[in-house]
Amino acid sequence: MIEVRDLTKTYDQIEALKGISFSVARGEIVGFLGPNGAGKSTTMKILTCFMPQSGGSVRVDGHDVNDDPLAVRRKIGYLPESTPLYPEMLVYDYLKWVADLRGVPRAQVAERIRKVAKMCGLSDRLAQTIGTLSKGYKQRVGLAQALIHDPEVLILDEPTSGLDPNQIVEIRNLIRDLGKDRTIILSTHNLPEVMATCTRMLIVHRGRLVADGTPAELQAREEDHPRVRVVVEGATVDDAKQALSDIEGVDEVRPALTAQDGAVALELVGAKGAEFRGEVFRRVVDRGWKLVELHREVLDLEGIFRKLTQEV
Amino acid sequence: MSTALRNVGALARRELAFFFNSPIAYIAITVFLAVCGVQLFVIHDFFGDNQATLRPLFEQIPLFFILYLPAIAMRLISEERRAGTIELLVTLPVTDTQIVLGKFVGALAFLAITLGATLVFPLIVGTIGDLDAGVVIGSYLGLFLVGAAYLAIGLMTSTWTKNQIVAFIVAVLLCAFFYGVDAMVASFWEGGRDAMAALSFKAHFTNIARGVVDTRDLVFYASVVAVALVAAKLSLEARNWRQA
Repeated sequence: MIEVRDLTKTYDQIEALKGISFSVARGEIVGFLGPNGAGKSTTMKILTCFMPQSGGSVRVDGHDVNDDPLAVRRKIGYLPESTPLYPEMLVYDYLKWVADLRGVPRAQVAERIRKVAKMCGLSDRLAQTIGTLSKGYKQRVGLAQALIHDPEVLILDEPTSGLDPNQIVEIRNLIRDLGKDRTIILSTHNLPEVMATCTRMLIVHRGRLVADGTPAELQAREEDHPRVRVVVEGATVDDAKQALSDIEGVDEVRPALTAQDGAVALELVGAKGAEFRGEVFRRVVDRGWKLVELHREVLDLEGIFRKLTQEV
Repeated sequence: MSTALRNVGALARRELAFFFNSPIAYIAITVFLAVCGVQLFVIHDFFGDNQATLRPLFEQIPLFFILYLPAIAMRLISEERRAGTIELLVTLPVTDTQIVLGKFVGALAFLAITLGATLVFPLIVGTIGDLDAGVVIGSYLGLFLVGAAYLAIGLMTSTWTKNQIVAFIVAVLLCAFFYGVDAMVASFWEGGRDAMAALSFKAHFTNIARGVVDTRDLVFYASVVAVALVAAKLSLEARNWRQA
Protein backbone atom coordinates (compact mmCIF):
# COMPACT_ATOMS: atom_id res chain seq x y z
CA MET A 1 0.00 0.00 0.00
CA ILE A 2 2.82 2.39 0.89
CA GLU A 3 6.28 2.04 -0.63
CA VAL A 4 9.08 4.29 0.59
CA ARG A 5 12.48 3.95 -1.10
CA ASP A 6 15.72 5.67 -0.05
CA LEU A 7 13.87 8.74 1.11
CA THR A 8 16.05 11.76 1.87
CA LYS A 9 15.19 15.30 2.87
CA THR A 10 17.50 18.23 3.41
CA TYR A 11 16.30 21.52 4.91
CA ASP A 12 18.78 24.24 4.12
CA GLN A 13 21.92 22.62 5.57
CA ILE A 14 20.24 20.07 7.80
CA GLU A 15 19.77 16.47 6.69
CA ALA A 16 16.45 15.51 8.26
CA LEU A 17 16.19 12.16 6.46
CA LYS A 18 19.24 10.22 5.36
CA GLY A 19 17.72 7.43 3.32
CA ILE A 20 14.70 5.64 4.75
CA SER A 21 13.08 2.64 3.10
CA PHE A 22 10.07 0.67 4.23
CA SER A 23 6.80 -0.63 2.92
CA VAL A 24 3.46 -0.98 4.61
CA ALA A 25 0.84 -3.52 3.58
CA ARG A 26 -2.91 -3.02 3.63
CA GLY A 27 -4.35 -3.57 7.11
CA GLU A 28 -1.16 -2.85 9.01
CA ILE A 29 -1.07 -0.37 11.89
CA VAL A 30 2.45 0.94 11.97
CA GLY A 31 3.84 2.90 14.90
CA PHE A 32 6.44 5.41 13.89
CA LEU A 33 8.75 6.05 16.82
CA GLY A 34 11.72 8.20 17.49
CA PRO A 35 13.02 11.04 19.61
CA ASN A 36 12.01 14.60 18.74
CA GLY A 37 13.63 15.70 15.51
CA ALA A 38 14.28 12.14 14.32
CA GLY A 39 12.39 12.65 11.07
CA LYS A 40 8.91 11.29 11.86
CA SER A 41 6.94 14.37 10.92
CA THR A 42 9.15 15.03 7.90
CA THR A 43 8.39 11.56 6.54
CA MET A 44 4.67 12.10 7.11
CA LYS A 45 4.69 15.49 5.41
CA ILE A 46 6.30 13.91 2.35
CA LEU A 47 3.84 10.98 2.36
CA THR A 48 0.90 13.39 2.39
CA CYS A 49 2.37 15.54 -0.42
CA PHE A 50 2.74 18.59 1.82
CA MET A 51 6.33 18.98 0.75
CA PRO A 52 8.62 17.22 -1.67
CA GLN A 53 11.48 14.92 -0.76
CA SER A 54 15.07 15.71 -1.69
CA GLY A 55 15.67 12.21 -3.03
CA GLY A 56 14.15 8.73 -3.19
CA SER A 57 10.58 7.82 -4.01
CA VAL A 58 7.25 7.36 -2.28
CA ARG A 59 4.28 5.51 -3.75
CA VAL A 60 0.85 5.19 -2.18
CA ASP A 61 -1.32 2.45 -3.69
CA GLY A 62 0.83 2.66 -6.82
CA HIS A 63 0.62 6.47 -7.20
CA ASP A 64 3.86 8.43 -6.99
CA VAL A 65 3.69 11.45 -4.66
CA ASN A 66 5.46 13.67 -7.19
CA ASP A 67 3.76 12.51 -10.39
CA ASP A 68 0.20 12.16 -9.15
CA PRO A 69 -0.17 14.05 -5.87
CA LEU A 70 -3.95 14.49 -6.19
CA ALA A 71 -4.51 10.73 -6.44
CA VAL A 72 -2.30 10.19 -3.38
CA ARG A 73 -4.12 12.88 -1.40
CA ARG A 74 -7.50 11.35 -2.25
CA LYS A 75 -6.41 8.02 -0.72
CA ILE A 76 -5.12 9.56 2.49
CA GLY A 77 -6.69 11.00 5.61
CA TYR A 78 -4.17 13.15 7.44
CA LEU A 79 -3.98 14.51 10.97
CA PRO A 80 -1.01 16.88 11.11
CA GLU A 81 1.01 17.44 14.25
CA SER A 82 -0.63 20.01 16.59
CA THR A 83 -3.96 19.69 14.72
CA PRO A 84 -4.34 23.02 12.91
CA LEU A 85 -8.06 23.93 12.60
CA TYR A 86 -10.06 27.06 11.83
CA PRO A 87 -11.12 28.33 15.27
CA GLU A 88 -14.00 30.49 14.02
CA MET A 89 -15.90 27.66 12.30
CA LEU A 90 -18.57 25.42 13.77
CA VAL A 91 -17.57 21.77 14.00
CA TYR A 92 -20.37 20.79 11.62
CA ASP A 93 -19.50 23.49 9.06
CA TYR A 94 -15.85 22.52 9.18
CA LEU A 95 -16.55 18.83 8.59
CA LYS A 96 -18.92 19.73 5.77
CA TRP A 97 -16.26 21.94 4.21
CA VAL A 98 -13.68 19.14 4.32
CA ALA A 99 -16.24 16.68 2.95
CA ASP A 100 -16.94 19.02 0.01
CA LEU A 101 -13.25 19.39 -0.80
CA ARG A 102 -12.73 15.66 -0.31
CA GLY A 103 -15.33 15.01 -2.98
CA VAL A 104 -17.81 13.17 -0.74
CA PRO A 105 -20.99 12.91 -2.84
CA ARG A 106 -23.36 15.71 -1.79
CA ALA A 107 -26.17 13.33 -0.88
CA GLN A 108 -23.92 11.47 1.56
CA VAL A 109 -22.28 14.44 3.30
CA ALA A 110 -24.77 14.74 6.18
CA GLU A 111 -24.70 10.98 6.77
CA ARG A 112 -20.87 10.85 6.78
CA ILE A 113 -20.66 13.75 9.22
CA ARG A 114 -23.10 12.00 11.54
CA LYS A 115 -21.10 8.79 11.30
CA VAL A 116 -17.60 10.20 11.93
CA ALA A 117 -18.98 12.42 14.71
CA LYS A 118 -20.32 9.29 16.39
CA MET A 119 -17.04 7.40 15.92
CA CYS A 120 -15.03 10.26 17.39
CA GLY A 121 -17.45 11.08 20.21
CA LEU A 122 -18.36 14.47 18.77
CA SER A 123 -22.09 14.00 18.23
CA ASP A 124 -23.07 16.56 20.87
CA ARG A 125 -20.43 19.10 19.82
CA LEU A 126 -21.35 19.60 16.17
CA ALA A 127 -22.98 22.99 16.81
CA GLN A 128 -20.04 24.31 18.82
CA THR A 129 -17.38 26.73 17.57
CA ILE A 130 -14.04 24.93 17.17
CA GLY A 131 -12.17 27.66 19.04
CA THR A 132 -14.20 27.01 22.20
CA LEU A 133 -13.46 23.26 22.32
CA SER A 134 -10.99 21.71 24.75
CA LYS A 135 -7.73 20.25 23.45
CA GLY A 136 -9.14 16.73 23.54
CA TYR A 137 -12.19 17.66 21.49
CA LYS A 138 -10.09 19.58 18.98
CA GLN A 139 -8.00 16.45 18.56
CA ARG A 140 -11.20 14.51 17.85
CA VAL A 141 -12.26 17.07 15.25
CA GLY A 142 -8.84 16.60 13.64
CA LEU A 143 -9.39 12.87 13.58
CA ALA A 144 -12.95 13.24 12.29
CA GLN A 145 -11.82 15.38 9.35
CA ALA A 146 -9.19 12.75 8.50
CA LEU A 147 -11.93 10.08 8.41
CA ILE A 148 -14.68 12.00 6.63
CA HIS A 149 -14.06 10.46 3.20
CA ASP A 150 -13.50 6.95 4.57
CA PRO A 151 -9.86 6.84 3.39
CA GLU A 152 -7.87 3.67 2.77
CA VAL A 153 -4.77 5.17 4.36
CA LEU A 154 -4.65 7.16 7.60
CA ILE A 155 -1.60 9.16 8.55
CA LEU A 156 -1.78 10.44 12.10
CA ASP A 157 0.98 12.60 13.54
CA GLU A 158 0.82 12.20 17.31
CA PRO A 159 -2.92 11.46 17.50
CA THR A 160 -3.03 11.23 21.31
CA SER A 161 -0.88 14.19 22.29
CA GLY A 162 -2.62 16.47 24.75
CA LEU A 163 -5.34 13.97 25.66
CA ASP A 164 -6.14 12.75 29.16
CA PRO A 165 -5.72 9.03 29.96
CA ASN A 166 -9.40 8.19 29.35
CA GLN A 167 -9.41 9.93 26.00
CA ILE A 168 -6.16 8.19 25.05
CA VAL A 169 -7.77 4.80 25.65
CA GLU A 170 -10.81 5.81 23.55
CA ILE A 171 -8.67 7.02 20.68
CA ARG A 172 -6.50 3.88 20.80
CA ASN A 173 -9.57 1.69 20.63
CA LEU A 174 -10.84 3.75 17.72
CA ILE A 175 -7.51 3.41 15.89
CA ARG A 176 -7.48 -0.36 16.46
CA ASP A 177 -11.02 -0.58 15.08
CA LEU A 178 -10.18 1.53 12.07
CA GLY A 179 -7.07 -0.54 11.40
CA LYS A 180 -9.10 -3.65 10.66
CA ASP A 181 -9.65 -2.61 7.06
CA ARG A 182 -7.27 0.31 6.62
CA THR A 183 -3.59 1.08 6.53
CA ILE A 184 -2.53 3.33 9.37
CA ILE A 185 0.74 5.04 10.15
CA LEU A 186 0.84 6.88 13.44
CA SER A 187 3.72 8.66 15.06
CA THR A 188 4.24 8.89 18.78
CA HIS A 189 6.90 8.96 21.42
CA ASN A 190 4.65 7.04 23.72
CA LEU A 191 5.74 3.39 23.88
CA PRO A 192 2.72 1.88 25.63
CA GLU A 193 0.71 3.35 22.78
CA VAL A 194 2.64 1.33 20.24
CA MET A 195 2.22 -1.83 22.30
CA ALA A 196 -1.51 -1.20 22.64
CA THR A 197 -2.35 -0.32 19.05
CA CYS A 198 0.32 -1.21 16.52
CA THR A 199 1.02 -4.41 14.68
CA ARG A 200 4.47 -3.19 13.73
CA MET A 201 6.93 -0.55 14.77
CA LEU A 202 9.46 1.53 12.88
CA ILE A 203 12.06 3.34 14.95
CA VAL A 204 13.80 6.30 13.35
CA HIS A 205 16.80 8.05 14.79
CA ARG A 206 18.64 10.99 13.26
CA GLY A 207 17.05 10.47 9.88
CA ARG A 208 17.72 6.75 9.66
CA LEU A 209 15.54 3.71 10.23
CA VAL A 210 17.13 1.80 13.12
CA ALA A 211 14.49 -0.89 13.69
CA ASP A 212 11.55 -2.42 11.86
CA GLY A 213 9.43 -5.27 13.19
CA THR A 214 6.72 -6.35 15.59
CA PRO A 215 7.33 -5.43 19.24
CA ALA A 216 8.06 -9.13 19.98
CA GLU A 217 10.57 -9.41 17.13
CA LEU A 218 12.43 -6.35 18.30
CA GLN A 219 12.57 -7.69 21.83
CA ALA A 220 13.98 -10.99 20.61
CA ARG A 221 16.52 -9.27 18.41
CA GLU A 222 17.83 -6.81 20.91
CA GLU A 223 18.28 -9.01 23.95
CA ASP A 224 20.19 -11.96 22.61
CA HIS A 225 22.82 -11.64 25.34
CA PRO A 226 21.08 -12.49 28.62
CA ARG A 227 22.01 -10.47 31.69
CA VAL A 228 21.36 -12.03 35.08
CA ARG A 229 21.57 -10.24 38.38
CA VAL A 230 22.58 -12.34 41.40
CA VAL A 231 22.67 -11.20 45.03
CA VAL A 232 24.05 -13.58 47.70
CA GLU A 233 24.74 -13.35 51.43
CA GLY A 234 27.60 -15.06 53.25
CA ALA A 235 30.24 -14.86 50.54
CA THR A 236 33.00 -12.43 49.59
CA VAL A 237 32.98 -10.84 46.16
CA ASP A 238 36.00 -12.87 45.07
CA ASP A 239 34.59 -16.18 46.28
CA ALA A 240 31.30 -15.57 44.56
CA LYS A 241 32.99 -14.47 41.36
CA GLN A 242 35.17 -17.56 41.34
CA ALA A 243 32.29 -19.89 42.04
CA LEU A 244 30.13 -18.56 39.22
CA SER A 245 32.58 -17.58 36.48
CA ASP A 246 33.11 -21.07 35.08
CA ILE A 247 29.41 -21.87 34.55
CA GLU A 248 28.81 -22.91 31.00
CA GLY A 249 27.37 -20.05 28.94
CA VAL A 250 28.61 -17.30 31.24
CA ASP A 251 30.99 -14.96 29.41
CA GLU A 252 31.57 -12.34 32.00
CA VAL A 253 31.00 -11.76 35.69
CA ARG A 254 31.13 -8.24 37.04
CA PRO A 255 30.38 -6.71 40.40
CA ALA A 256 27.10 -4.84 40.67
CA LEU A 257 25.62 -2.55 43.27
CA THR A 258 23.26 -3.55 46.05
CA ALA A 259 21.64 -1.60 48.83
CA GLN A 260 21.72 -4.59 51.14
CA ASP A 261 24.32 -4.72 53.94
CA GLY A 262 26.62 -7.72 53.90
CA ALA A 263 25.38 -8.93 50.54
CA VAL A 264 27.32 -9.30 47.31
CA ALA A 265 25.80 -8.42 43.98
CA LEU A 266 27.05 -9.64 40.62
CA GLU A 267 25.94 -9.27 37.05
CA LEU A 268 26.48 -12.25 34.76
CA VAL A 269 26.48 -11.67 31.03
CA GLY A 270 25.87 -14.79 29.03
CA ALA A 271 26.39 -16.06 25.52
CA LYS A 272 23.66 -15.66 22.94
CA GLY A 273 20.58 -17.61 23.93
CA ALA A 274 22.26 -19.15 27.02
CA GLU A 275 20.19 -20.10 30.06
CA PHE A 276 22.12 -20.66 33.31
CA ARG A 277 19.95 -19.50 36.17
CA GLY A 278 19.41 -23.08 37.45
CA GLU A 279 23.13 -23.71 37.68
CA VAL A 280 23.70 -20.43 39.54
CA PHE A 281 21.09 -21.44 42.09
CA ARG A 282 22.63 -24.92 42.58
CA ARG A 283 26.17 -23.60 43.11
CA VAL A 284 25.09 -20.92 45.58
CA VAL A 285 23.12 -23.45 47.63
CA ASP A 286 25.99 -26.04 47.47
CA ARG A 287 28.37 -23.56 49.07
CA GLY A 288 25.93 -22.80 51.87
CA TRP A 289 25.37 -19.18 50.86
CA LYS A 290 22.02 -17.52 50.97
CA LEU A 291 20.50 -16.59 47.61
CA VAL A 292 18.74 -13.26 48.00
CA GLU A 293 18.06 -12.33 44.41
CA LEU A 294 18.24 -14.06 41.05
CA HIS A 295 16.77 -12.05 38.21
CA ARG A 296 17.05 -11.95 34.46
CA GLU A 297 16.98 -8.38 33.18
CA VAL A 298 14.29 -8.09 30.54
CA LEU A 299 14.92 -5.44 28.00
CA ASP A 300 11.48 -3.92 27.58
CA LEU A 301 10.41 -1.73 24.70
CA GLU A 302 11.59 1.35 26.51
CA GLY A 303 14.98 -0.24 26.94
CA ILE A 304 15.09 -1.13 23.25
CA PHE A 305 14.03 2.37 22.32
CA ARG A 306 16.70 3.95 24.51
CA LYS A 307 19.34 1.52 23.30
CA LEU A 308 18.58 2.25 19.64
CA THR A 309 18.26 5.99 19.97
CA GLN A 310 20.95 6.81 22.47
CA GLU A 311 23.17 9.71 21.52
CA VAL A 312 26.47 8.14 20.52
CA MET B 1 -14.67 20.03 -14.11
CA SER B 2 -17.60 19.93 -11.73
CA THR B 3 -15.26 18.96 -8.88
CA ALA B 4 -13.14 22.03 -9.69
CA LEU B 5 -16.24 24.22 -9.45
CA ARG B 6 -17.36 22.54 -6.26
CA ASN B 7 -13.90 23.04 -4.74
CA VAL B 8 -13.68 26.71 -5.73
CA GLY B 9 -17.23 27.24 -4.44
CA ALA B 10 -16.50 25.57 -1.09
CA LEU B 11 -13.27 27.57 -0.66
CA ALA B 12 -14.98 30.86 -1.60
CA ARG B 13 -17.95 30.25 0.72
CA ARG B 14 -15.61 29.62 3.65
CA GLU B 15 -13.83 32.93 3.08
CA LEU B 16 -17.10 34.84 2.86
CA ALA B 17 -18.50 33.06 5.91
CA PHE B 18 -15.36 34.04 7.84
CA PHE B 19 -16.23 37.74 7.43
CA PHE B 20 -19.92 37.44 8.11
CA ASN B 21 -19.67 35.04 11.06
CA SER B 22 -17.70 37.66 12.93
CA PRO B 23 -18.30 41.38 13.46
CA ILE B 24 -15.53 42.19 10.95
CA ALA B 25 -17.77 42.44 7.88
CA TYR B 26 -20.41 44.56 9.56
CA ILE B 27 -17.90 46.94 11.08
CA ALA B 28 -15.88 47.24 7.86
CA ILE B 29 -18.93 47.92 5.68
CA THR B 30 -20.41 50.39 8.17
CA VAL B 31 -17.15 52.33 8.38
CA PHE B 32 -16.83 52.28 4.61
CA LEU B 33 -20.35 53.67 4.14
CA ALA B 34 -19.67 56.35 6.76
CA VAL B 35 -16.50 57.44 4.96
CA CYS B 36 -18.42 57.57 1.67
CA GLY B 37 -21.19 59.62 3.31
CA VAL B 38 -18.70 62.09 4.77
CA GLN B 39 -17.01 62.44 1.38
CA LEU B 40 -20.27 63.06 -0.46
CA PHE B 41 -22.21 65.24 1.96
CA VAL B 42 -19.54 66.96 4.08
CA ILE B 43 -16.30 67.25 2.14
CA HIS B 44 -17.95 67.73 -1.22
CA ASP B 45 -20.95 69.68 0.08
CA PHE B 46 -23.44 67.86 -2.12
CA PHE B 47 -26.42 70.06 -1.21
CA GLY B 48 -24.53 73.34 -1.60
CA ASP B 49 -23.38 72.19 -5.03
CA ASN B 50 -26.97 71.70 -6.13
CA GLN B 51 -26.19 69.04 -8.79
CA ALA B 52 -27.57 65.49 -8.90
CA THR B 53 -24.25 63.80 -9.53
CA LEU B 54 -22.28 61.18 -7.64
CA ARG B 55 -19.03 61.78 -9.48
CA PRO B 56 -17.34 63.44 -6.49
CA LEU B 57 -17.98 60.22 -4.55
CA PHE B 58 -17.18 57.65 -7.23
CA GLU B 59 -13.91 59.42 -8.05
CA GLN B 60 -12.72 59.00 -4.48
CA ILE B 61 -13.80 55.40 -3.86
CA PRO B 62 -10.77 53.87 -5.67
CA LEU B 63 -8.65 55.87 -3.24
CA PHE B 64 -10.57 54.52 -0.21
CA PHE B 65 -10.25 51.03 -1.67
CA ILE B 66 -6.44 51.31 -1.47
CA LEU B 67 -6.76 50.89 2.30
CA TYR B 68 -10.02 48.95 2.47
CA LEU B 69 -9.44 46.04 0.10
CA PRO B 70 -5.85 45.11 1.06
CA ALA B 71 -7.20 44.93 4.63
CA ILE B 72 -9.77 42.41 3.42
CA ALA B 73 -7.25 40.39 1.38
CA MET B 74 -4.28 40.41 3.75
CA ARG B 75 -5.27 37.36 5.77
CA LEU B 76 -6.31 35.11 2.88
CA ILE B 77 -3.13 33.00 2.72
CA SER B 78 -0.83 34.53 5.35
CA GLU B 79 -3.19 33.54 8.17
CA GLU B 80 -3.25 29.92 6.92
CA ARG B 81 0.53 29.95 7.00
CA ARG B 82 0.73 31.49 10.45
CA ALA B 83 -1.82 29.12 12.00
CA GLY B 84 -0.49 26.05 10.18
CA THR B 85 -3.87 25.29 8.60
CA ILE B 86 -2.13 25.55 5.22
CA GLU B 87 -0.85 22.02 5.86
CA LEU B 88 -4.35 20.58 5.91
CA LEU B 89 -5.52 22.81 3.08
CA VAL B 90 -2.83 21.82 0.59
CA THR B 91 -2.99 18.13 1.49
CA LEU B 92 -6.66 18.06 0.50
CA PRO B 93 -7.21 16.91 -3.09
CA VAL B 94 -7.44 20.47 -4.41
CA THR B 95 -5.02 22.15 -6.80
CA ASP B 96 -3.12 25.33 -5.99
CA THR B 97 -5.05 27.09 -8.76
CA GLN B 98 -8.34 26.12 -7.12
CA ILE B 99 -7.12 27.44 -3.78
CA VAL B 100 -6.11 30.80 -5.30
CA LEU B 101 -9.34 31.10 -7.29
CA GLY B 102 -11.51 30.08 -4.34
CA LYS B 103 -9.93 32.68 -2.07
CA PHE B 104 -10.17 35.32 -4.80
CA VAL B 105 -13.82 34.61 -5.56
CA GLY B 106 -14.64 34.78 -1.84
CA ALA B 107 -12.97 38.19 -1.61
CA LEU B 108 -14.73 39.36 -4.80
CA ALA B 109 -18.06 38.43 -3.24
CA PHE B 110 -17.17 40.63 -0.28
CA LEU B 111 -16.34 43.46 -2.67
CA ALA B 112 -19.67 42.99 -4.44
CA ILE B 113 -21.53 43.13 -1.13
CA THR B 114 -19.69 46.31 -0.15
CA LEU B 115 -20.57 47.92 -3.50
CA GLY B 116 -24.14 46.71 -3.06
CA ALA B 117 -24.31 48.56 0.26
CA THR B 118 -23.16 51.81 -1.40
CA LEU B 119 -26.25 51.65 -3.64
CA VAL B 120 -27.96 53.71 -0.91
CA PHE B 121 -26.22 56.79 -2.34
CA PRO B 122 -27.58 56.56 -5.91
CA LEU B 123 -30.98 55.61 -4.44
CA ILE B 124 -31.07 58.74 -2.23
CA VAL B 125 -29.74 61.05 -4.92
CA GLY B 126 -32.00 59.49 -7.55
CA THR B 127 -35.09 60.43 -5.54
CA ILE B 128 -33.93 64.06 -5.22
CA GLY B 129 -32.86 64.73 -8.77
CA ASP B 130 -32.13 63.21 -12.16
CA LEU B 131 -29.19 60.80 -12.09
CA ASP B 132 -27.45 59.77 -15.31
CA ALA B 133 -28.00 56.00 -15.12
CA GLY B 134 -25.27 55.31 -17.68
CA VAL B 135 -22.65 57.05 -15.57
CA VAL B 136 -23.78 55.24 -12.42
CA ILE B 137 -23.65 51.80 -14.07
CA GLY B 138 -20.29 52.60 -15.67
CA SER B 139 -18.92 53.78 -12.34
CA TYR B 140 -19.99 50.59 -10.59
CA LEU B 141 -18.41 48.47 -13.29
CA GLY B 142 -15.22 50.53 -12.96
CA LEU B 143 -15.22 50.25 -9.16
CA PHE B 144 -15.67 46.49 -9.37
CA LEU B 145 -12.74 46.19 -11.78
CA VAL B 146 -10.43 48.42 -9.73
CA GLY B 147 -11.45 46.52 -6.61
CA ALA B 148 -10.79 43.15 -8.27
CA ALA B 149 -7.29 44.36 -9.21
CA TYR B 150 -6.59 45.49 -5.63
CA LEU B 151 -7.87 42.20 -4.19
CA ALA B 152 -5.72 40.17 -6.58
CA ILE B 153 -2.69 42.22 -5.54
CA GLY B 154 -3.60 41.76 -1.87
CA LEU B 155 -4.00 38.00 -2.37
CA MET B 156 -0.60 37.90 -4.06
CA THR B 157 1.19 39.70 -1.23
CA SER B 158 -0.67 37.49 1.25
CA THR B 159 1.10 34.43 -0.20
CA TRP B 160 4.50 36.01 0.42
CA THR B 161 4.48 36.19 4.21
CA LYS B 162 3.04 34.74 7.41
CA ASN B 163 2.55 38.27 8.66
CA GLN B 164 -0.78 39.88 7.73
CA ILE B 165 0.49 43.38 8.45
CA VAL B 166 3.42 42.99 6.08
CA ALA B 167 1.07 41.63 3.41
CA PHE B 168 -1.23 44.63 3.99
CA ILE B 169 1.50 47.28 3.78
CA VAL B 170 3.10 45.83 0.65
CA ALA B 171 -0.32 45.57 -1.03
CA VAL B 172 -1.21 49.18 -0.10
CA LEU B 173 2.10 50.41 -1.52
CA LEU B 174 1.63 48.46 -4.77
CA CYS B 175 -1.97 49.63 -5.19
CA ALA B 176 -1.06 53.24 -4.42
CA PHE B 177 1.86 53.12 -6.84
CA PHE B 178 -0.23 51.83 -9.75
CA TYR B 179 -3.12 54.12 -8.86
CA GLY B 180 -1.12 57.29 -9.27
CA VAL B 181 1.88 56.27 -11.35
CA ASP B 182 1.02 58.76 -14.13
CA ALA B 183 0.64 61.70 -11.73
CA MET B 184 3.83 60.70 -9.95
CA VAL B 185 5.88 60.60 -13.12
CA ALA B 186 4.26 63.83 -14.34
CA SER B 187 5.39 65.59 -11.17
CA PHE B 188 8.98 65.57 -12.42
CA TRP B 189 8.51 64.90 -16.13
CA GLU B 190 5.28 66.13 -17.69
CA GLY B 191 6.02 64.29 -20.94
CA GLY B 192 5.76 60.90 -19.19
CA ARG B 193 2.17 61.34 -18.09
CA ASP B 194 0.53 59.89 -21.18
CA ALA B 195 2.85 56.90 -21.40
CA MET B 196 2.34 56.11 -17.71
CA ALA B 197 -1.44 56.52 -17.97
CA ALA B 198 -1.46 53.14 -19.71
CA LEU B 199 -0.38 51.59 -16.38
CA SER B 200 -2.48 53.78 -14.10
CA PHE B 201 -5.44 52.30 -12.23
CA LYS B 202 -6.87 55.80 -11.97
CA ALA B 203 -6.65 56.65 -15.67
CA HIS B 204 -8.36 53.41 -16.72
CA PHE B 205 -11.02 53.88 -14.04
CA THR B 206 -11.79 57.44 -15.11
CA ASN B 207 -12.52 56.23 -18.65
CA ILE B 208 -15.02 53.59 -17.52
CA ALA B 209 -16.61 55.87 -14.90
CA ARG B 210 -17.48 58.37 -17.61
CA GLY B 211 -19.76 55.68 -18.98
CA VAL B 212 -17.42 54.83 -21.85
CA VAL B 213 -16.66 51.12 -21.66
CA ASP B 214 -13.58 50.54 -23.79
CA THR B 215 -12.14 47.05 -24.33
CA ARG B 216 -8.66 48.40 -23.57
CA ASP B 217 -9.69 49.29 -20.02
CA LEU B 218 -11.35 45.91 -19.48
CA VAL B 219 -8.30 44.09 -20.84
CA PHE B 220 -6.06 46.20 -18.60
CA TYR B 221 -7.84 45.19 -15.39
CA ALA B 222 -8.21 41.58 -16.50
CA SER B 223 -4.44 41.50 -17.13
CA VAL B 224 -3.60 42.94 -13.72
CA VAL B 225 -5.85 40.36 -12.03
CA ALA B 226 -4.37 37.53 -14.12
CA VAL B 227 -0.75 38.50 -13.44
CA ALA B 228 -1.34 38.87 -9.69
CA LEU B 229 -3.23 35.56 -9.43
CA VAL B 230 -0.59 33.68 -11.40
CA ALA B 231 2.09 35.18 -9.13
CA ALA B 232 0.04 34.09 -6.11
CA LYS B 233 -0.26 30.57 -7.49
CA LEU B 234 3.48 30.35 -8.19
CA SER B 235 4.31 31.56 -4.71
CA LEU B 236 1.96 28.96 -3.19
CA GLU B 237 3.48 26.30 -5.41
CA ALA B 238 7.04 27.25 -4.47
CA ARG B 239 6.89 24.84 -1.54
CA ASN B 240 6.99 22.06 -4.13
CA TRP B 241 10.16 23.20 -5.79
CA ARG B 242 12.71 20.58 -5.00
CA GLN B 243 15.98 21.58 -3.50
CA ALA B 244 18.84 20.33 -5.58
